[in-house]
Amino acid sequence: MQAHDETGAYRDSIETTVRLVIWTLAWVATLALARFGPGLLWDSRQPVASWAAVTANLVVGIGWIVAFARFLRGQDELQRKIMQDALAITLGAGWVGGFTYVVANAADLVVHDVDVAVLPALMGVVYVVAVIAGKIRYR
Amino acid sequence: MKNRIRDLRAERSWTQADLAQRIGVSRQTINAIETEKFDPSLPVAFRLAKLFNLKIEEVFLDDQ
Repeated sequence: MQAHDETGAYRDSIETTVRLVIWTLAWVATLALARFGPGLLWDSRQPVASWAAVTANLVVGIGWIVAFARFLRGQDELQRKIMQDALAITLGAGWVGGFTYVVANAADLVVHDVDVAVLPALMGVVYVVAVIAGKIRYR
Repeated sequence: MKNRIRDLRAERSWTQADLAQRIGVSRQTINAIETEKFDPSLPVAFRLAKLFNLKIEEVFLDDQ
């Protein structure tokens, strides 16, 4: 919860931001482990290690979602509005872009297969651009 | 929504950062309110009015 005293709001905001950065780094690390671990760190024919890495990525991912929600609640109302607008644009872009690809693929219009990882990466870029646009808009 | 925050702040020689710290929001929020790009929530509007010892309708002006 955002404090309303002279310094509490800033302290809360900094704490939630630091926690979000830590969770983000942890998630990226477990993602890299799950993606590149099989073959590099252990034999890819060992499903136990691969399942452990994927599970770790999923669990840390859930922690990242919780950290992001707390980060959002820790922001002041304008920052929260900018983030929520950016999330709405990101969701819309992912939804529309994803289904456009699905129907184009079903109609045999897509010549080259696209890696499924492109969609979340694209959504990440859209989110960052939307946040920057919001910051500029309310500068 | 029109408001008198810039004038009230100037009367007290406060910077936007000073006011932001007293209210518990970011400096960007104060700037967006002053330039009428963003209308604050009721709790923030009440905190602003209380800080300036004014009624809320003396800080925020109905422009309709």
